[in-house]
Formats: sequence, C-alpha cells, structure tokens
Amino acid sequence: MDVAQKAALLKQLHDAVVDMDEEKTPRLCQEALAAGIDAYTAIMEGLAAGMDTVGRFYEEKEYFVPELLLCSDAMYAGLEVLRPHVKVGEHAAAGKIIMGVVEGDIHDIGKTLVKTMFEAAGWEIHDLGKDVKLERFAETLRDTAADVVALSALMTTSMMAMPKAIDMLKAVSPDVIVLVGGAPLNAEIAERYGADGYAPDAIAAVETATRLVTKAA
Amino acid sequence: MHPMTSRERTKAILAEKPVDRIPHFPFILGFCARNLGLPITTIYRDAEKSFAAQQMTFEQYGVDWGPIYGYASYGTWEFGGEIEMPSGNYQQAPAHKSFPVKTEADVDPLGLPDVRTAGCLPIAMAFSRLQESHGTPISVVLGGNFTIAGNICAVEKLCRWMIKKPELAHRILRLATDHILQIVGHWVDTFGADRVIPQFWEPLAANRIISPRQFKQFVLPYLVETGERIRELGVRHVLHHICGDQNANLPFWAEVPMGELGLCSFGEEIDIERAIEVLGEKAIMIGNVDPSLLLTGTPDAIYERCRQAIEKGKRAPRGFMFSAGCELPPETPGYHLHVVQKALDRFGAMQQP
Amino acid sequence: MHLKQDRMTSRERMNALFSGQVPDRVPLGAMSTGFNTRNAGHTVADAYKDPEKSFTAMQWTTEQYGWDPIPQYAGHTVLGAWDFGGKVRMPQGEYEGALVVTEYPVKTEQDVEKLVLPDPRTAGRIPEALRFARLQADNDLPVYFFSRSPFTMAANIAGIDRFLRWTMKRTELCEHLLRLSLDHIFNVLAIWVDTFGAHRVFAWMSSPTESNQLVSPRIVKKFALPYHIEYHRRLGELGVKRFGFHICGEQNLNLPLLAEACPWAHPSVLSFGHEVDLETAAQHFPRDIIFGNIEPAVIQTGTPETVYALCRAAIEKGRQAPGGFILGPGCGLPVAAPPVNVYAMTRAVHDFGWYV
Repeated sequence: MDVAQKAALLKQLHDAVVDMDEEKTPRLCQEALAAGIDAYTAIMEGLAAGMDTVGRFYEEKEYFVPELLLCSDAMYAGLEVLRPHVKVGEHAAAGKIIMGVVEGDIHDIGKTLVKTMFEAAGWEIHDLGKDVKLERFAETLRDTAADVVALSALMTTSMMAMPKAIDMLKAVSPDVIVLVGGAPLNAEIAERYGADGYAPDAIAAVETATRLVTKAA
Repeated sequence: MHPMTSRERTKAILAEKPVDRIPHFPFILGFCARNLGLPITTIYRDAEKSFAAQQMTFEQYGVDWGPIYGYASYGTWEFGGEIEMPSGNYQQAPAHKSFPVKTEADVDPLGLPDVRTAGCLPIAMAFSRLQESHGTPISVVLGGNFTIAGNICAVEKLCRWMIKKPELAHRILRLATDHILQIVGHWVDTFGADRVIPQFWEPLAANRIISPRQFKQFVLPYLVETGERIRELGVRHVLHHICGDQNANLPFWAEVPMGELGLCSFGEEIDIERAIEVLGEKAIMIGNVDPSLLLTGTPDAIYERCRQAIEKGKRAPRGFMFSAGCELPPETPGYHLHVVQKALDRFGAMQQP
Repeated sequence: MHLKQDRMTSRERMNALFSGQVPDRVPLGAMSTGFNTRNAGHTVADAYKDPEKSFTAMQWTTEQYGWDPIPQYAGHTVLGAWDFGGKVRMPQGEYEGALVVTEYPVKTEQDVEKLVLPDPRTAGRIPEALRFARLQADNDLPVYFFSRSPFTMAANIAGIDRFLRWTMKRTELCEHLLRLSLDHIFNVLAIWVDTFGAHRVFAWMSSPTESNQLVSPRIVKKFALPYHIEYHRRLGELGVKRFGFHICGEQNLNLPLLAEACPWAHPSVLSFGHEVDLETAAQHFPRDIIFGNIEPAVIQTGTPETVYALCRAAIEKGRQAPGGFILGPGCGLPVAAPPVNVYAMTRAVHDFGWYV
C-alpha cells in the first residue's frame, strides 16, 4: 500500500469513529495492521483524530452525549485491536492520570467521557470508577505517582468531599495537579477548594491537563 | 394588613388570585433532615418524619406550598432494580445500585409494576395522605418519562439505543409513560382529580445529555401523550421541573399540555425571562437560583441573585414562585436560606386588592 | 420567620433590664460560638481561630434567630492552660465543639513556682480576642471580656484532678495559682479598659470548676470566694459597670454563700444551668438579672416540641424574677444543636415572652 492509500485508510478509520461505527472501526484497524501501518500511528492518526473531530462536534453542539458514547464505543473497539501491537516502551504516554467520581456520587457519564478523551489523547489512565472513597484517591496516587488526578461530582453534596480529597492528595504529592469537574462546579469554587484547574467538559479537561502538566515540567 | 398564611398564598396562586408576596416553592429535602438533626435517609424512608421535618423547616424559613416526596432516581426500584438510600457525609438522595434492565434481552419481558406496592410508592402514598390531611398540595413526584426510562436501563444505554436500537428506547419509554399514567390514575382515584398535582422531574432530558432533535423524537411525544391523558382525568395542574440546561428544548416544552394552569420550574441555566416568553402564557413560572451559589456563595451574592430572580419572575403573566434551581444542598448554611427569606420579604411583595 | 415585631432594639431592651425597667419582651441570649460558624458555612474551629469569620457568623446568626447580644464572645479572652504556657488545639472532626488542652503548664509541684505572669498582649488567644473585641466596638456592641473564675482558671493551669488534690494537701500551691490567675485576668482587663473605655466593657465570667459535682461549698468558700470578692473590688476600681456570671452546673449548695457575699454590682446577669431552678435563683439573687436555663443536652437531642415546652416553662418562671430575666441555654449552645430546636427557643419567646 502506498502512502496515499495508507492516508486514505487512516481517514476511513477517522470517519468510522465519527460515524459511531463499532463494527467497521475494528475491521479497518485490522486492515491497517495488515497494510503495515504502525499500530501507534493508526491509534493517533485514525482513532484519536476521529475523537478530536467528535470533540469539536460536541463543542459545536452537533454531537451530544449519545453520540459521544457511541463514538467512544467505536474507538475502544478499535483500540482493542491495535493496542496489543503497539511496541512497548517506544512511545511515552502523554501523561498519567487518575480519575474518579468522588465518594457519595454515582453519576459517571461525565467521567466516562473524560476518560474517553484522555484515552484518545494517549494518556495512561487509572480509572477508579464512581463513589470512590477519598482515601482510595490518595492511595492510588501513592502507588502510581500520577501527574494528574481528576475528580468529578454531579451533586452539590458530593462536591463538598473535594476539599478534603485535595488536601489528602497534596499531602501525598504536593506537585500533583488536581483537576475538578462536574455540573455544580465552576472555576471559582474549584480555586476555593484548592484545585489546580477546572474543566467544564471532557474536551476542555484534556486541554487543561495538558497545559498544566507542560507548565509544571 | 395581615400577611397571608402559606396555605392561603398557595391557594391564591393556583387560582390566579393576588398574593401578598411571591411564594417560596420548596425544592428542599435533605436540608430539612439536617435542620432537625436527622439522617438524610429519613426524608425518603419515613413518610411521617419526612413530612414533619419539612413542615417544621418550612415554617422556620417561611417556605410555602408544603412538603413533597420524591427523588430523581425514581423508577429504578419500582421496575425491579435496586437503589441505595443516602448515607455517609456526601450523599444527598437515593441512588441507583442496579438497574432493572441490564441487557437488550431484559427489555421485552419488562412489565408494569403494581402501583400500590412497587418501590417507594407505598411511602409516597402515605406521604400524600399526610398532604391531604394537612391541606397542602397532593403533589406526587415522579421522574419525567425520559428520566424514568433512563432510570430503568441506565441513561448511557438509553442514549446508545436511541441511535442504534430506537425500538428498545421506545419500548422502555412506553412502559415509563404507562406507569406514570397508572400512578396518576391511582392518585386521582384516591384523592380526587382536583386535589392531585403531579410533578415530573426531567433532568435526563437536559441538553447536556441529549440534543433538541433527540428531545423532539424521544421525549416530546410521550410528554404530550401524558399531558393529554392526565388532562382527560380532570387534573387541573401539572408541574414539570425542566432541569438543567434545556434552553434548546424550551420550544418543545411549549407543546406539552400542563392542565388549565401548568407549573414549570427551571434551573439557573434557563433565564426566567426567556422561560416567560416561551411558557409564560400556560404556566406559573418557578425558579431559579443556582444551588451551588446557595451552598457556597456569600450572603450578599445570594441576596442579589434572589433579587434578580424575583424581579424577573414577577413579570410572569400567570404567576411566579421563587425556588432554588434544583434541590437545595442539604449542607447549605442555615443563614443562606434566611437570606433567601429576607430577599423575598424585601422584594417579593405583591399588591393585594 | 413571620413573628411579632419587636418594639425595642436589643440595646434598648438590655438598657431597660439594667435600669430596672420592664423591656418589651424577654430577651433571648445564646452563649453560642461554633453553632454560629456552622450556620454560616464555616467550621467549629473558625469560631476560635478566625475572629472576623466568628464575628460575622455571630451577627448573622443573631439576626436570624432574633437573639440579643448577651453575651457575645468567641471563646475565652484569657485561658489558664494556654496563656500560662500549656498546649491547646482547635476542635477537630465531627464530635468536638471546643478547644482541647493537650498539655498543662503545670505537671508537678515544682512547675508552680516557675510560673510567671504571661504577657497580657500576646499570650494564648488574647490577640484574636482583641480583634474580636475591636469588631464589637466598631459595631456599637458591648465589648465582652470573658474569663473563667480564678478558681476555674487555676484548675485549668494544673489540670483539675491535680488541683483538686492540692486543695486538700498543698493549699499554698492553690493559693499561688489563684493569685496568678486573678492578676493575669486584670492585667488583660486593664488593656481592654484602656483600649475601649470602662463604659464599653462587659465582663463575663464562668465557674464550672466550682460546681458541686466537683467541690464542696467549703472549698468554694475557702478558695474561690475570696477571689470573687477581690475580683469585684478591682472591677469596680477599673470602672467596669456591667458583669455577667455563668454559675455553671450543679451549684445549689453554693448559692447561699454567693448570695451572702454578693460581691458584684447590681444588677448583674447571673446565668444558671438546668440544675438550678429559676425560682430558687431569683429568690437568692433578687437584685440581679437571671439568665437561663434550658438544658443544652435537650436542645441537642430533644424534639422541638420539648425545647419549646421547656422554654415556655422557663419564661413563665423567669419573668417573675424581681431583678429581670433573660431566656437562654443553661450552658454553651451545643454546636450540633438541630437548628429547628434553636428556632423553637425563638418561637417560645415570641409566643410567650411579651410583657405588655
């Protein structure tokens, strides 16, 4: 397959993600591997590129949550095919992030979407799920030395757990970057809570995390 | 001139008669438990204690309307799933533990629950009997059709099926709608159509989750059907809590029958002026100070925000009630609710005849 | 709340009481610190360590519940253990409502001799108390000065169990600690008077260690009473006119002693716990304003109906007191009191507390 054909295949992969095609995406991934396209290249220029477009559609209010969920299903189906073929150690993760919905809160759609976008952006992710006891965030940080911890809450009650969680995290690692997000939060509350950043949606979350990690480096 | 009692004020606004001041509509549940030093779970488990806690708190803070019973996760338990009552320091309402529908194969066999015995309905009925005996509105609170559907199969699944398997989404929405109608029918049979005011909370239909196009396709038809059938029962007022950012859905809400005089409550995401433009001719407007502000804001900021909401809402042609934009956080400092009361006393006066 | 409107301001009400006139209604005092800061969205610890937050929370809560500012303080001005070099920490967690002594300045008999009078400007939390007092002055409120009694303070320096043993075995050590306590109180009080003027200062004292649950009237007579007498002599010399005394806990056996000595100017405010019947208090102190006496444990754990009924009964008894009456808790308002119970006290005053 020549360069142009490979580029076209990657574009098809991108389109399959954007079109929410959970059957076609892994099939195209197989084709990409068979054509000799490097697995990492297929992830970044096919799947992740597709999610970038999805993110833009979401910002422009063309895509909403249902579309995002299905696009992420397609992306994950493709990742399942490609990941085993990525050469270990050859490509550094963009960053390492722990994420979870704080104790007392079981609403995790937002966190799921955030995870998808970080996955697409090449981060190593430690997803603790929902209703996560505050101590578990701190323990996981200790175990993983992550760059960023992202806390999510949908309820005004559960968001009150965040200041305590942030104190616990900073006690483990004063340099860790803590991001918060969720419907009842805003930049002002985030700052008051001691967070390093706030993101109103999944797309902004990746941008903010990347900016803060780069600044700290 | 003597101030009206809370009951007089509520009765007057529903009859479109003058009120002495803007009523304060309660979106205040877990806060009442905290106010009495009780666990939040009391509000949802114990009809008598819940009613008493709300009633005492409303008297303390000058809140009108009357106690209500309900929560946003309604539907999960009733259709055979499990919920968890709030516990610990950070939970404010019942939450899903497991959904009745976990796979596509679970959808077809799903049947309608018995409205006398399913889930929280016995507690809700006991609560409504207290509403009746105390002369407060009998406002049975349920999720809206779409929210109940999301509580049956998990909203992520519903979202996926809307696009990939719309027939499954419609089947669940059909069940949710029939369930709602059975409950309202049961309440009407028990208390009379003129006493019952159904309340529907629709947080899952917010544009943070679905598009207006999806609202039109999957939410609106069921809301319209429900509204029409409830009207046929003789119910005069229906309350919809249009939760979250539903600005793009507002024109569709205008098509939903809400009785002779509906009630629409909004979150802070919707400007009351815009809501009045779209829905003011068909409903009492209710709203809409940001609960986060009530929890964490300064008293001055809260007072000012209340003033703005009251000044805007007063222009609603068919009436306005002040409210938090969603449930008042249980940990809201008591002084903040006192500031709300002060703002209502200061800015909420209305001309009496 | 939509209750009857007051016909006097708080100041007019208190002035009426202090001049022997009948106020519009029974005043309502609260003796509240951590409840206020929690009501305002802060922590209990903020009541003690942040004078500005504590003051603001106090005014807001006073406004909300219709309290009169009697007394208003954010913790003690002078503290035995802390001021004399011990260690104290702020309340933590969900079960602590007050400062906690973690190390006493005096652990042995030898430590007593080494004690020196603390710096009256910088010891303990005096700087924070002064900031709080300035806020009171700037806001046209009485400037409170809150100490424990010399006996209680002395016990706080050495630890109660050690001190009480010494009242039996080493009385000279007790006398030394009592002397230091009284002198330190007045060193700091002098600063209050210099800064704000004697006419603005309202001295308030509590005496929990003199309770008969701990000591006999004989011990009170021997060790506590002489220092009460000297305290009031010196208070008079400073020109401070207003005094409040929280006679804390079970002190029925001490009442005759205190009534006979009556060293304070009249009227003073005498605050009693639920252990002392209000009628008994009024009989012993007919020239003073009786304050009390709703049991804090009931405010915390009872129903609003129970609190309301207790308040009603207290108002009906207390308003007969010839020297005047203020409704309030029998000791500090519990930080975890359900707000609806605190509101029940307000409701009771508005339902039953009017004089005309």
